Amino acid sequence: MIRIRWVLELTRLILEIIGADMSTCTRRVKVVLYEKGVDFVIKPIDWATGEHKSEAHLSKQPFGQIPVLEDDGFILFESRAIGRYIAAKYADQGTKLLPNPEDLRAVALLEQAACIEQSDFEPNVGGIAMEKVFNPFKGIATDEARFKKHVETFGTKLDGYERILSKQKYLAGDELTVVDLWHLPHGEIAEKYAPEVFEAHPKFNAWWQSLKNRSSWIKANEKGNLL
Amino acid sequence: MVLTIIGHPVSTCTRRVKTALYEKGVEFNLQVIDWPGGEHRTEAHLQKQPFGQVPVLIEEDGFILYESRAISRYIAAKYANQGTKLLPDPSDLKAVALFEQAASVELADFDPPASGLAYEKIIKPRTGLTTDEKRVQTLNETLKSKLDGYERILSKHKYLAGEELTLVDLFHLPYAATTELLAPELYESHPKVHAWYKELKERPSWKKANEGL
Repeated sequence: MIRIRWVLELTRLILEIIGADMSTCTRRVKVVLYEKGVDFVIKPIDWATGEHKSEAHLSKQPFGQIPVLEDDGFILFESRAIGRYIAAKYADQGTKLLPNPEDLRAVALLEQAACIEQSDFEPNVGGIAMEKVFNPFKGIATDEARFKKHVETFGTKLDGYERILSKQKYLAGDELTVVDLWHLPHGEIAEKYAPEVFEAHPKFNAWWQSLKNRSSWIKANEKGNLL
Repeated sequence: MVLTIIGHPVSTCTRRVKTALYEKGVEFNLQVIDWPGGEHRTEAHLQKQPFGQVPVLIEEDGFILYESRAISRYIAAKYANQGTKLLPDPSDLKAVALFEQAASVELADFDPPASGLAYEKIIKPRTGLTTDEKRVQTLNETLKSKLDGYERILSKHKYLAGEELTLVDLFHLPYAATTELLAPELYESHPKVHAWYKELKERPSWKKANEGL
């Protein structure tokens, strides 16, 4: 009886991520979990049978997406929100990934960086990924004109990144934060299809290479990525 | 201690910040940027905002912050003890997580199709470019499917992060307003979303942010 209870206790301590090992957004969560040294299991979703559109899944994730975190009954979706929660809950272990919450200006600069990532970086690298990976996977042909437009806009946004990373080591300041890590999943796809844009922005590229080489990211890609 | 916002009265992102400032009762000076004159592309502006955008916050001691949502969050945290409560208690990790979930949904699911529609149907005609009707159709379909998700959320609780209003609800206002103009049928087919939006748009802070427009 004691052993059974111990096993039950142990399984409740292990976070569950409903997701897919190769999915970009699941890997955005995995990289944070590895940085913080937090145990987890991936509960795969059956995409082929449309499990993501089932009522059971929609009641957890109303947009029919992955990943979803289940932490002892607490349900959370959006890979960046999950990453922030992990980084805050396990603040005292692993890599420091968030500023001190009492330092309002450091927090503000993190939020500034988070907005830049989601508004300026993600739409363009996400667009490149859509044209070159996700659409072809769904049998939709690449729209070369749209791809070119994404690459062009991406280049303009990286001019902004170059300015920032000429003044400081990471996007929110001189310390690594979750926001830097968020660039990885779609960024590596963009690097494959538009390497010239990376090379044309040396400070950005140096920051990018250092992130890519972190053991947490290498481990997050161990079960495959979309390259 | 009056803070400065570099921006423009018609700018959606400037109005997003103004709404937060009015909710918190914080005084500010709006320094109007010369957009037609290309001031946003000058070296002087790029030093403050490396993407050539507005708004930008400048505090009296010279602290500079950009991105409307980051500025609004900073105001809401710095002035937590005055005006409307707009953020969860920072020590409540689950409430903070649900706030961040809603904040990510706004940026990833709502803003792209809603602002995309505004770009095609409002900005493009104004700047002499042709609306891409095929793209409008795609954006409409995407926004409709995202609002299905919003309808589920708002059937469970009153606001996006739970039972209390937060900054994230207010972040939606600028493009929720353009959606009302451009695709009102989307509100008719999503009654919970419609009720949530109708209540938000009556807030005095939003009306004041739009004064004169």
